[in-house]
Amino acid sequence: MTSRARLAWICGGLAAVLIAVALGSLLVGAAPVPPRAVLDLIAGRGPSGGTDRAVVLSIRLPRIAAAVLAGGALAVAGAGFQALTRNPLAEPSILGVSGGAAFGVVVAQVSGLGQGVVDALGLAAFGFAGAVAAGLAVYLIASSGAGLPVHTLLLAGVIVGIFFSASITVLISIVDANRLGGVIYWLLGSVAPIPPGQLVIFTLVTAVGVWLVLGQARALNLLALGEEGATELGVDALGLKRRIFMGAALLTGTVVAFVGPIGFVGLIVPQAFRMLLGPDNRVLVPAALLGGGAFLLAADTLARTVVAPAELSVGVLTSFCGAPVFIWLLRSRVARVEP
Amino acid sequence: MTALAEFRSVSFAYPRGTGGRPPFELRELSLTLEPGEVLGLIGPNAAGKTTVIRLLSRVLQPSSGTIVIDGQPASGLDRAAVARRIAVVPQDVPQGFPYTVEQLVLMGRFPHAPARFFESRADLLIAREAMALTDVEALAAEPLERLSGGERQRVVLARALAQQPRLLVLDEPTAHLDLRYQAECVALLRRLHRDEGLGILLISHDLNLAAEVSDRLLLLAGGRAVTSGPPHEVLQAPVLEAVYGCRVAVDKHSATGRPTVSVVWPEGR
Amino acid sequence: MTSLITALALVALLPVSSWGLEVVDQVGRTLTLPAPPQRIVSLVPSTTEVLYAIGAQDLLVGVTDFCDYPPEARRKPHVGDMLSPNLETLVTLKPDLVVATREGNRKETFDQLDRLGIPVYLVDPITVRDVLKLITDLGELTHHREGARAVTHDLERRIAAVRDRVAGRPRPRVLYVLWPEPLIVPGRGALVTELITLAGGDSVTADLGQGYPRLSLEAAVGHKPEVIILARHGSRGGATVREQWQRLESMPAVKSGRLYTADGDLMHRYGPRMVVGLETLARLIHPEAFGQSEAARRGAAR
Repeated sequence: MTSRARLAWICGGLAAVLIAVALGSLLVGAAPVPPRAVLDLIAGRGPSGGTDRAVVLSIRLPRIAAAVLAGGALAVAGAGFQALTRNPLAEPSILGVSGGAAFGVVVAQVSGLGQGVVDALGLAAFGFAGAVAAGLAVYLIASSGAGLPVHTLLLAGVIVGIFFSASITVLISIVDANRLGGVIYWLLGSVAPIPPGQLVIFTLVTAVGVWLVLGQARALNLLALGEEGATELGVDALGLKRRIFMGAALLTGTVVAFVGPIGFVGLIVPQAFRMLLGPDNRVLVPAALLGGGAFLLAADTLARTVVAPAELSVGVLTSFCGAPVFIWLLRSRVARVEP
Repeated sequence: MTALAEFRSVSFAYPRGTGGRPPFELRELSLTLEPGEVLGLIGPNAAGKTTVIRLLSRVLQPSSGTIVIDGQPASGLDRAAVARRIAVVPQDVPQGFPYTVEQLVLMGRFPHAPARFFESRADLLIAREAMALTDVEALAAEPLERLSGGERQRVVLARALAQQPRLLVLDEPTAHLDLRYQAECVALLRRLHRDEGLGILLISHDLNLAAEVSDRLLLLAGGRAVTSGPPHEVLQAPVLEAVYGCRVAVDKHSATGRPTVSVVWPEGR
Repeated sequence: MTSLITALALVALLPVSSWGLEVVDQVGRTLTLPAPPQRIVSLVPSTTEVLYAIGAQDLLVGVTDFCDYPPEARRKPHVGDMLSPNLETLVTLKPDLVVATREGNRKETFDQLDRLGIPVYLVDPITVRDVLKLITDLGELTHHREGARAVTHDLERRIAAVRDRVAGRPRPRVLYVLWPEPLIVPGRGALVTELITLAGGDSVTADLGQGYPRLSLEAAVGHKPEVIILARHGSRGGATVREQWQRLESMPAVKSGRLYTADGDLMHRYGPRMVVGLETLARLIHPEAFGQSEAARRGAAR
């Protein structure tokens, strides 16, 4: 089977899974909406007002969209970052960018900036500003005359991340007790329905980030030969590293800004797919995009239905469900490869 | 006939690191590689041999002097253009390299169409041919981690051949290989040289291998060219002792007539 | 001609509510409601208390998990906690008004409700006066003016009674501990600060900061409070916390045995029970004004 055909099959299969999960997610929730009504509403028929419409189209659908985008973006960022650093343990949060984004949002919440009840984009903008600041800091720290050494990049990312984490802790310790609940709730990470305007921006920025990583997927494969090895084959290693870093940072920062910090997805989704489909990034990145979206959507759907009407934090679910699956994959793979 | 590659008075210094260690330098090195010849680059450790490779493949840029590849100044060629002419064969792939043999060989096609997302059918055929040349076709679907040292050597060579270069650069091709694979490697190189007309730049600390395979030798020490010429001219005891700092004996190989160098092992003192 | 003028005059006197109700909430936002609210969801426990107090509980269709007073309120449908009420459950209740607060609910929740077209009435009481106004406003909003008036009159009477009892007495230094570890105390704008003043005491942390700031234990000791009141939240924490504070013998309050615990809910909810909190504080700060013996005072403090 040619690579093109294989990619088409894999994407087709994953897209089908994604659609199935999305459909399932639309059908369940705290409000009792009959399946027939859900299907009618999606098809464009159905009442023009009423509770069912509000629940399905204004609450569930935007939340599903947010979960799919966030999961896909994080998985692609993880895949790119793992290939860039040649380190399977690299997770987007190591970039330091998610710490910066979280800091930006916490500052906005704590100081009451962007608190106009109608000003919905305010928090996301602060998160994004924080992400950019962190990304720049990491890049500048790691950049040297000789280029962008990978181990320095990793260290710089960890340090910047720790710095922002500590700053958030400081903020939490001095904030008024009343505001504290909201801040901590946000920090646990949860997916919420996003308004259409923001959703469009989220989609566009994610598309740019995915393009930055996927567009150079072939060259990214060559990076496995080492930077010198890739250069000897004609790859502009420094330019490639910059581009992948930017893409991963953009994707991670955007997710945190719009949805909050969600861990683990960027680590296990690309790893799991790498074990199942092989290391070729041309297949891995699209698979991560679709599979990551389906994974986070499934986790979020569980999070909002398992103990309804209360909700679990989605980060808790991704860890609890993802970890055993991952361990199983790891052990079965290890058993195969051992000589 | 244009030389495959030329160094014209090339100097290079690594950027000064911390700690005050003197940066390594190449001082005004000039060399020429003619098409279809095998040039052996020999010399002690840190003589600058690996730096020459890095300069050739444009991983590094010279501080002064010019490098000419296939008649054109290297600075005017982009990396892919250089990679289409010069293929560097590393000793091995990095630890934990996850790809299969065929995937690695296909990477050699990258410089010919970097903008393509997937390789073309022609690329696949060329890769297959390269694998056939080095006799690794049967291993196409194997991950590299599972292969022996000798097999991996043939695979990285296949990848270099897939680049369809005019010049093949080999950096210590027989290090870490046992005798049998060393012999296989030499046979392969000879066949490629003869059948495909490839120029070969061979770097080896194994003087006898270099003497056996090369048409010409270039002896480097301290970043400078000490001497160059046919093996029997370059491999003379006085020069070698001066450069390597130990006593050597130079004989003639009983079977091939090429010079052989052996160390005169010192008494313990 | 006269009839025309009469007709015009009558038209001019027609109430605005024929075209919709314009309401201004406590943070100054204007809401336009098509009709007086009939289905209210309360995301604020103190608002739930107020609605019951003024007799408007039949309009209440949804409450949070924390709306526990009066006990009947627990039987209303729950929408979740204050930070993340379940939107689907909320929407299913078909509310025509949601009451929320910026201190305790999240802005994201208001935004979501706005987008779903559900009007949000924000409450933001800080002082005792604000609470009385809130009761009046809610009475206005739910057409229970009489009930509201009855409640506010009763509260004002009881507040005046306390004020009279403690008038002219020396004001002891009072330390109120909202939470022991980390030490959280009431500052400016906290309801309990005002209650302490009304109860005839001087909160040592009144100028410390906005809302409920942190304080180090050393600083607390440095203020030499003569009365210490530890807030009790739910049924936990009373005994151990008391023991810990009992050990700080350098403080005048501990030396004279004036270390008390009190029900936190009474002091922090911006509802009718704040006056019970006021009366409790007054009894603890000025027991002599209420003719209480030592033993009776201790009993009242549990």
